[in-house]
Amino acid sequence: MSIGQQQREDPAITRRPLDERSHPTILELRKVGCAYEKGRSAIADISFSVREGEILCLLGPSGCGKTTTLRAIAGFEPVGAGEVYLAGRLVSSPDTLVPTEQRHVGMVFQEYALFPHLRVVENVAFGLHRLPADQRKAQVRTMIEMVGLTGLERRYPHELSGGQQQRVALARALVQKPVVLLLDEPFSSLDPDMTGKMREDLHRLLMETKTTAVLVTHDHEEAFAMADRIAVLNNGRLEQFDTPEAIYHTPATPFVADFVGQADFIPGLVENGTVTTEIGEFPNQVGYRRGTKVVVMIRPDDVHIEPSEHCDARILARQFRGSENLYTIGLPSGRVVHSSESSTAVYPVGSPVELQIIATHTVLFEENHPSRPPG
Amino acid sequence: MDMVARQTFPTSLSVIALTVAGLICLPLLFIGYLALSADPSVWGRLWNTRIPELLMNTGALALGVSIGTLLLGVSLAWLLVRYDFVGRSVWEWALVLPLAMPTYVLAYLYTYLLGAGGPVEHLWQWWAGSEARVLSPYSFTGATLVMTLDTFPFVYLLARAALLNVNVSFEEVARACGASRLGVWRRVTLPLLRPAIVAGLSLVILYVVSDFGAVSLLRYQTFTYAVYQQVTGRYDQTAAAVLSLLLVLFALIFLIAERWFRRRSRFYQTTGRYRTAPRTRCGPLGTTLITAYLALVLGASFGVPAWLLVQWTASAAAEGAVDARFFGFVWNSVALSGLAATAAVLIGTPLAYLASRWPSKLNVACLQAAYAGYVLPGPVAALAILVLASHLIPFWYGTVLVLIIAYVVHFLPAGLQTMEPALQQITPNLEEASRSLGLSTFSTLRHVTLPLVKGGFIAAWVLMFLQCIKELPATLLLRPVGFDTLAVRVWLEASEEYFQLAAPSALLIVIVALPALLLLVSKDWRAA
Repeated sequence: MSIGQQQREDPAITRRPLDERSHPTILELRKVGCAYEKGRSAIADISFSVREGEILCLLGPSGCGKTTTLRAIAGFEPVGAGEVYLAGRLVSSPDTLVPTEQRHVGMVFQEYALFPHLRVVENVAFGLHRLPADQRKAQVRTMIEMVGLTGLERRYPHELSGGQQQRVALARALVQKPVVLLLDEPFSSLDPDMTGKMREDLHRLLMETKTTAVLVTHDHEEAFAMADRIAVLNNGRLEQFDTPEAIYHTPATPFVADFVGQADFIPGLVENGTVTTEIGEFPNQVGYRRGTKVVVMIRPDDVHIEPSEHCDARILARQFRGSENLYTIGLPSGRVVHSSESSTAVYPVGSPVELQIIATHTVLFEENHPSRPPG
Repeated sequence: MDMVARQTFPTSLSVIALTVAGLICLPLLFIGYLALSADPSVWGRLWNTRIPELLMNTGALALGVSIGTLLLGVSLAWLLVRYDFVGRSVWEWALVLPLAMPTYVLAYLYTYLLGAGGPVEHLWQWWAGSEARVLSPYSFTGATLVMTLDTFPFVYLLARAALLNVNVSFEEVARACGASRLGVWRRVTLPLLRPAIVAGLSLVILYVVSDFGAVSLLRYQTFTYAVYQQVTGRYDQTAAAVLSLLLVLFALIFLIAERWFRRRSRFYQTTGRYRTAPRTRCGPLGTTLITAYLALVLGASFGVPAWLLVQWTASAAAEGAVDARFFGFVWNSVALSGLAATAAVLIGTPLAYLASRWPSKLNVACLQAAYAGYVLPGPVAALAILVLASHLIPFWYGTVLVLIIAYVVHFLPAGLQTMEPALQQITPNLEEASRSLGLSTFSTLRHVTLPLVKGGFIAAWVLMFLQCIKELPATLLLRPVGFDTLAVRVWLEASEEYFQLAAPSALLIVIVALPALLLLVSKDWRAA
C-alpha cells in the first residue's frame, strides 16, 4: 500500500470566484434566521453573498431549510433574525419586510405555477402590465424567441410538455429583468432524460441575459453543473459556502463530504507529524496535535486497486456502472472502502488487491466531529 | 371459454340496458314530438300571449338569483377559507344546511314572514310608522330572495372547493411579478375560481328554472308554473308540451355549461407540490363582523325558518293535528319513495355496470341517455309520463305505478352519478383474480363485486329515496285521487295559508333531508 505522487494540480483553484470590482455584490444575507413557530427555527445564522451575474446553488437534503432561505430572499417568509440586502437595499430584517412585489425578484417554482387561465404570451407578459402595449409585445416576443417557444404563444399551459412549461416559467420571470432570479428545484418535475438538456439551456440563458440566480436543489450533480458557488445547508445551518470544486475536494465537514459524492471515512491517529491509518500514512495538513483521533475522507476516484496475492484487502463486490466499475473493498479490520476503476478493469469478487491512494488533498476531520454523517 | 363468457354475458345485459335507456328517453322524445307536431296556431297563440312574459320572468329570476348567490356564495367561501376565527369549522358545514330545505317549504315560510301582518312587517312598522309596508313575497323580489337563500350553498360549496385548491404559488408568482394584493385577487385568484363559480351558477340556474314549488306558492309566473297550469287548469297538453320543450332547451343550455366548466376546472388544479394559502387570524372586531354576517345569512336561510317549523309543529301537535291521517301521509311518502328508489337501483345497475366494464359506444350511449332525466324539470317529466300513460297504458293511468315510473325517470340520473363511480373503482383485475382462484362468475359477483359496490349503491338508494320524499310537481299531477304525500300536504295547506297545519309535514321533510345532505357534502368535502 502506498500513497501516490501529486499528479493533479489543485482543482480547487480552477474556477475562480468572480472579480469583486466588476461584479458588485447583488444579494447579501447576514446571519439570517427564520422560525416557523416560536422556538422552532427553520434556518439560523445563514450568511452568504452573491455577486452580479453569479449562479449560486443552495444545496442540501429535504428539510434542510434551503427553500425557506429562498422564500426569505423573495420576501414570502419574514426573517426573525439578521438582514437581507438586495442591490444594496435592506429588504428583510426583524423590523423590515419589503413586500415581494417591490423587490424585483424573479421566481420559478418547482411546479412552475403557470397561470392556467392565461395563454403562453399572457403568462410571459403578466409582470409587464405597466409597460405600454407595443413595448410589452416586443419584449415578450424577444423573450419567447430566446427560450425557444416560438409558435406556442397561443397555447394554454395544459397543452404544453413539462419542458415547455418550464421555459414559459423562465421567460415569465426573466422578461422582467429581475435583480435576482430565484429557482426552487426547477428540474425536479422533469423527466430525467430532459433535465440534462434543460440544465444546459438554463445555463446558457442565464449567461446570455447576465442574470444573477439563486437555485435550490437537493441534487449535487445539478449544483456542480450549474453553480459558480454552492451553499451547502444542513439542519437549517450553513455548512460550507464555496466553489463546486472546493466543496467536492475539500469539504469543510463530514456531512458535506458525504452529501456531495461517495466518500469513505477511515479512522487514523496523529503520530510523528503524519496520520497513520490501516491503509497507509497521510500528511497532517491541518496540524492536529499528536495523539488526536481523526478520520480521513477518501473518494472512490482517489483509490486505485491492483490485484496482488500478498495483500489482505479483498474485493467484496463489483457494481458495473457503464463508464466505471465501482469496487467495494473489505479491509482486514472489517471496514470497507470504495474504488472507482475504468469500465474495462474487471477483477473477480474475492481476489486480494493492493490499494493505491492518490491523495493530493486529503481531508481530515476530528473523529467526533459534530456533523459526522451516520454510519 | 373465458372469451365466450366475456362476449355473451354483456350481450344479454345490453338488451336490457338498451330497453331501459329507450324507455327513459321515451317521455322526452314524446314531448318533443308533441310540441313540434303541434298546430302552428298553438305556437302562434302562445308566442303572442304567454312566451314573452314567461321568458322574461324566468330569465329575470335566473339572473336575480345568480347575482344573489354569486355575492353570497363567493363572499362566504372567501371568508371561511382565507380567515380564521372562533367557530369557523362549525360555520363551514352549517352553511350547507339551507339545501335541506325544499324550495316550497322556504317559500311557504316566507309568505308568512313577509306577508301582510307578518312579523317582518310588524318590526318594520314599529320602526318606520304604522303606514309602512314591506315588499310583498308574491313578487319578483320575493321569489328571488327565497330562491337565493335556498341555493347559495351550491356556489359556496364549489367556490370553497376551488379556493382550497388554489395553489398559493400562483399568488406568490404574481406578487414576484410585481402585482399588488388587489391585482393578485383580480388577475389571478378570481380567474382561477371562475370555472367553479360558473359551474355553481349553472347549477343554481338549472335549479331555478326547473323549480316548481317556490314559484307556484309565490304565484310567480315561470315556465314550470305555466306548464302545470296548462295541464291542470286548461287541460291543454299540446300547449304544455310546447312550453315544456322551451323549458327543456333552456335547462339544457345550463346543463351543458355546467359540464363544460367543471371539465375546464380540471386544468386549473396543479400537479406536483401544492400548498394552500395561510389563513389570516381575526381579532375580536373582525370575528364579530364576520360572525354577524354569517348569522344573518344562515338565520334568514335556515335558522328562523327551522325555528318557525318547530314552533308550529309543536302547537299543531298540541291541537291534535299529528294524527292517524298524518301518519297515513308519512306511510304514503315512505312506501312510494322506497319502491321508486329500489326500482331505480335495479334499473340503473345494468346501465352503470356495462358502461364502466365494457365501455363500447353503445353502452356508454345508453348510460348517457339515462341522464336525460336531468333536463326534465319535475312538471315536464310529470306531463310526459301523464301523456304517455294516457296514450299507451290507459288502464295504469292514475295508479301509483305511473308515479313510480315518473320518479325513476326523474331521479335515476342522480342515483347513477353515485353508482357509476362505485363500479368504476373496482378494477376488472379483482374479478379476474377471483376467477383465477376458482370462483365462478356468480360467486365472484357475490363475494367480490357486490361487497365492494354495496356502499355506493346504498348511498344511491338513500339519495333517490330522499329526493322522492320531497318531490312535489310530479306527485301533484300524477298521484291517484286522495293519495297525498308529505310534500303534497305541505303545498296544499300552504296554498290555503294554513301555516301551522303544513308545519309537521314540512319539518319531517327537512329532517329526513339532512342525511342526504351529509352524504352529498361529505363527497364534496373529500373532493376538496
